[in-house]
Amino acid sequence: MTGNDEFAFEPTIVAFCCHHCAYAAADLAGSLRLNYPESLRIIGLPCTGKVDVVHILKALEDGADGVMVAG
Amino acid sequence: MIIAEQKPLDEIMGLLGSDERVLVVGCGTCVTVCFAGGAREAAIVAASVRMTSKLNSVPREVTDVTVQRQCEWEYLDEIKEQISDADIILSLGCGIGVQAIAERFPDKWVVPGLNTTFLGMPTEQGVWIERCAACGDCVLGITGGICPIARCSKSLLNGPCGGSEDGHCEINPDIDCAWQLIYDRLSRLGRLDALLELQPPKNWSTSRDGGPRKITRDDLRLAAEEE
Repeated sequence: MTGNDEFAFEPTIVAFCCHHCAYAAADLAGSLRLNYPESLRIIGLPCTGKVDVVHILKALEDGADGVMVAG
Repeated sequence: MIIAEQKPLDEIMGLLGSDERVLVVGCGTCVTVCFAGGAREAAIVAASVRMTSKLNSVPREVTDVTVQRQCEWEYLDEIKEQISDADIILSLGCGIGVQAIAERFPDKWVVPGLNTTFLGMPTEQGVWIERCAACGDCVLGITGGICPIARCSKSLLNGPCGGSEDGHCEINPDIDCAWQLIYDRLSRLGRLDALLELQPPKNWSTSRDGGPRKITRDDLRLAAEEE
């Protein structure tokens, strides 16, 4: 955040993360006290193969500005 | 199975007009297995309509439900309350499903979300091909199990025509010549003599030429017992 209104927009991103890799990486980031934006909302899944178009649309419909699938 | 494909979203939005409460009705049979109008597609279409309406500032409440078969009354009766609560029904069934809803719920406006395209099968994942024209008088027994009615562009009974080029149809090189397929198959099976018998003109009265068709089986009808 710069304080400049032009850059004030911070997108809400929903991240669908695989339990075995990306979610574990986010967990490790936490353990290492690494910061990531509060606007990143992580949803852990047993496998990102489970992610369907319906889930992505639901996230966007409910206010996400973007969706990330990490697995 | 019946093969269908979704209409473009713009067309669907046009069909919905300004009606506020929309019920998207999927069908759990043919259009589910051809990925056009099952529960998943109904949820996707409902979300797409909701988001498009929101972007265009159109007030709208969109819900979705999927029945096992839209073409049978008993399955439609299971959702009669949801249908009653809606201003408009967006059917993701085939043309039969749309009409079944219109007939069962005479006071409801129903619009199609799919284009019903043909009777066919998947030949690989994501590819469907027409296989049957429902002509009402099956000729597969004399053509080696390959239908010249549905698969020959001219529906010839004595083919091929002069437009058969290297096994392909003259109207589109992507289309196999059905009569080449028939010849090759009969040849492989040692039954080419079947082609020596010329087929007389087909009686098309069993097809669409005879008007809308109907089958009545008194052995199955409940009303027949009472008559």
